Amino acid sequence: MKISLNWLKDYVNFTIPPEKLAHQLTMAGLEVEKIETVNDDTVFELEITPNRPDCLNMIGLAREVAAILNRPLRLPKIKKIRFPRESCAITILDKQGCSRYIGTVIQNVAVRNSPEWLLQRLQAIGTRTINNVVDITNFCLLETGQPLHAFDCDKLIGGKIIVRRARDGEKIVTIDGVERTLNSSVLVIADAKRPVAIAGIMGGKETEVTQDTKNILLESAYFDPVLIRRAARSLGLSSDSSYRFERGVDMNMVEGGSLRAIFLIHELAGGTIVQRSDNFPTKRMMIQRQIVVSRNQINQLLGASMTASRCKTVLKKLDFKVTMSGREILKVTPPFFRNDVKEEVDIVEEIARILGYENLPLSLPQIKMMNIKIDTKRPLERVIRQTLLGLGFDEAITYTMIDEGSLKKSHVNSSSVVRVKNPLTKDQEIMRPSLLPSLLSALLTNFNRGQKNIKLFELGKVYVDSQEINTLSLIMTTPHLEDWRQSKKDSLDFYDIKGVVEQVIKRLGSKGVIFVPAQQPFLVKGKSASIKVQEREIGFLGKITEDVLRHWDIKLKEILYAQINVKELFSKIAFQRTYQPIPEFPSIVRDVSLAVKTNTTFQQIKELIQEQKPEFLSSVEFVEQYVGDKIPAGHRGMTFSLVYQLPSRTLREDEVNAVHEKICQSLIENLGAIRR
Amino acid sequence: MSWNFEEIRQKALQEIFAITEANELESLRVKYLGRKGLIAQIFSSLTSLSDDQRPLVGKNTNELRNEITQFIEEKKKEIQQLKEKGDAQESLDITIPGVAVELGHQHILIQTMDEICGIFENLGFAVYEGPEIETEFNNFTALNIPVDHPSRDAFDTFYLKVEDPTNKGRYLLLRSHTSPSQIRIMQEFTPPLAVVVPGKVYRPDAVDASHSFMFHQIEGLLVDQGIKFSDLKGLLSIFCKRLFGENIKMRFRPHFFPFTEPSAEVDISCYICEGKGCSVCGRKGWLEIMGCGMVHPKVFQHVGYPKGKYTGLAFGMGVERMAMLKYGINDIRIFFENDLRFLRQF
Repeated sequence: MKISLNWLKDYVNFTIPPEKLAHQLTMAGLEVEKIETVNDDTVFELEITPNRPDCLNMIGLAREVAAILNRPLRLPKIKKIRFPRESCAITILDKQGCSRYIGTVIQNVAVRNSPEWLLQRLQAIGTRTINNVVDITNFCLLETGQPLHAFDCDKLIGGKIIVRRARDGEKIVTIDGVERTLNSSVLVIADAKRPVAIAGIMGGKETEVTQDTKNILLESAYFDPVLIRRAARSLGLSSDSSYRFERGVDMNMVEGGSLRAIFLIHELAGGTIVQRSDNFPTKRMMIQRQIVVSRNQINQLLGASMTASRCKTVLKKLDFKVTMSGREILKVTPPFFRNDVKEEVDIVEEIARILGYENLPLSLPQIKMMNIKIDTKRPLERVIRQTLLGLGFDEAITYTMIDEGSLKKSHVNSSSVVRVKNPLTKDQEIMRPSLLPSLLSALLTNFNRGQKNIKLFELGKVYVDSQEINTLSLIMTTPHLEDWRQSKKDSLDFYDIKGVVEQVIKRLGSKGVIFVPAQQPFLVKGKSASIKVQEREIGFLGKITEDVLRHWDIKLKEILYAQINVKELFSKIAFQRTYQPIPEFPSIVRDVSLAVKTNTTFQQIKELIQEQKPEFLSSVEFVEQYVGDKIPAGHRGMTFSLVYQLPSRTLREDEVNAVHEKICQSLIENLGAIRR
Repeated sequence: MSWNFEEIRQKALQEIFAITEANELESLRVKYLGRKGLIAQIFSSLTSLSDDQRPLVGKNTNELRNEITQFIEEKKKEIQQLKEKGDAQESLDITIPGVAVELGHQHILIQTMDEICGIFENLGFAVYEGPEIETEFNNFTALNIPVDHPSRDAFDTFYLKVEDPTNKGRYLLLRSHTSPSQIRIMQEFTPPLAVVVPGKVYRPDAVDASHSFMFHQIEGLLVDQGIKFSDLKGLLSIFCKRLFGENIKMRFRPHFFPFTEPSAEVDISCYICEGKGCSVCGRKGWLEIMGCGMVHPKVFQHVGYPKGKYTGLAFGMGVERMAMLKYGINDIRIFFENDLRFLRQF
């Protein structure tokens, strides 16, 4: 909200420079966002918090300034007016929406330009000036906080005012010249036939006060904040009036504002009051609350040591009524317009605010130990991060809200997707059920910007059936080590990403994780695997299909992707780790080179060996595989090492040879392998 | 058998002299000094000598052995020195980059969250993570933000097409701040409580340089008997100094949050202009970094704590904003683009 300092000086005297006043207001919770010089005036732009609608006007702000600077407040004089007995034809049909409506009919007003002082006040803060009557309603709104509206009385059909809900589809042209279609959530002021104003938001063009207007009806009302807020939203229309009604105006000021306007109209436009009525159907006056608070309570919450009389002085400056009960207890009655002050802590804040937070003491809290279960996820996530950073993966954070189209593009199933009710754009339609679209999008961004060697991971959530699942995803377009001394390894394959996933699992110490062939619609069959623990799939990895890459317009062939449910992975971690003694006696290593049938897996070979429980054997290590013209068709070459070792003694060559030969023979017999 | 010591000596000397490689020297050493070497042979032949010849020949043999040993040692040093000299002549271009796995880079937001949480962890706070999908009760009602109240405007919210199982006819939402985790923590545990909650939050803001529909917050909560506003000032002063440096100036400015009373915003002196006023701080000299306050009694009431038993302080900050201030980043969107040239700066 903008305020002019010249105008402010009408109500409170001060001599401190504007910058100093701005600082003081800011430190009292009325933040001055901007200071401008307009001719010989200074204009502040204030950020008023939603709890302080009483500060959305000059008098309210002057009251704060007077309290902060300890100066007297001068309120504008309103002469007693004697009203005629005759009342206006006002009917309130929606008594919830409109709890009070004061109408005043003034005849024979002289509508003309406003005097210089009025123009200056309004122009300083950028309010458009129209004519004296309209300018007065705007001036009173800014001065008292009470929105007012003047109708051209002769244009009201039937000379009537009806406060009611709009009918669906009913139309009105507002004073900004825009035709608006209303609905039943909107409260309107209507005459006998049609809406003449959108209540609390904007008046209608057809009944506005112009230079030709002779007789006016001045409206001063209280409209329900929620109703106005919803109507303003549904119409996409807000105004100085709606802004104040939404936050709640002072029920008492409905009358005060009206009187102030009548006084000024009488001064500047003349005229005679012929009708007046105050429709107050619910008589819902605000109850004056008394809040009892002790000096001790105030000091304990603030960590301060103030006297009760000091507190009393501060509160009285803000128009709070304070009586003392003994020397310790304050009985405080906040003014009507301070609807935000409801309980003891609110009183404490008022005192703290006016004294200045910076003047209150500072202490260090005692933080006690808590016996609460510690979240084990964080340290484990840190292990994952450290491992992947060590392997050269950069960490991404992507948007968790995505568009549904990107799922289709990625061939990701969207059956249990969580949808957003009110997305701003298509990009926020759904909560992602997979990290694949997110990482493909990050990869594309980089690729389009000329970045080549991309290895990204994200530890984020996916959302399935409104469950949040912590998930690790990896995407890579480049092998691990780039060594300028060696010729470039230009392609990468399944084993590059499997190695990364294995490292993560190894670092975590998760047990029982196996890789089995699997098919995901976005991964190439035969070059992808499912990651399983006890028959449960906890993730997958492999090469992304060219089809998906084409949809994304990514012009790279080899892109590897992995995704793992980390909660499942964490649940398989063996926390008990036991030291294994380092072998004292040397091992004997024997390599085996076989040509096996293409569909024979290393896992099968390993299992076949281990099933025999051969003596002395401590491990089977993969060495290499070879495919080429030296291998018979339908076969591939595979070399692995058998490591023999005993903890108790050194093995002899002859005893190892015997066992080894037996193993080789069984592989040849059982797998139809050929020794190379 | 007699030995011509002088001849052996001359020959050995010549041979040693002619040598250029360390391995040749070694075979020479074996030839003369080894277990089956010439010297050993001479020694073993001593037994066939007469008693008066033996001492002299023995003495000569010893002398010869010592001499050859010395020659070999000297030659060894010489070869070593030559080798070092040679190495120096064919020196490497040490300005070529070394070879190692290029380490990855942790996202700067994760680093910032870890740093902030770490400061509070060192002060005795525990880290807690709450869900992003929340109920209206936790996100608003329990935090003293009544449904349909204008104060909810500041917390504009994404709703999901999923009905709230605890509140028929209402929908689940994406939390608009990390504060609902306060409610979960207080419902689950009894004080004393000292907890920080990092996480994602969502607001339907149009995306621009300073707005994002998804961002990160860190919430803090300290509840016990006798927690005071002065504690809030003290705690956050320590935090700001540890995060932004000892010389940072800060101020507490009254503000409004429905779930705290008294409430404040914390400003730090602008790092660009040091408080003089510049475009970054909007010529105010101060940068707003967080909201805070004393937990509102209504919040305690909503979580079922006995009236008046506890007081507490709470604070919340935007992680992106902290990182932007700390590293001079001027566009919030860059955090989520994941451009490697950005990620690899940190």
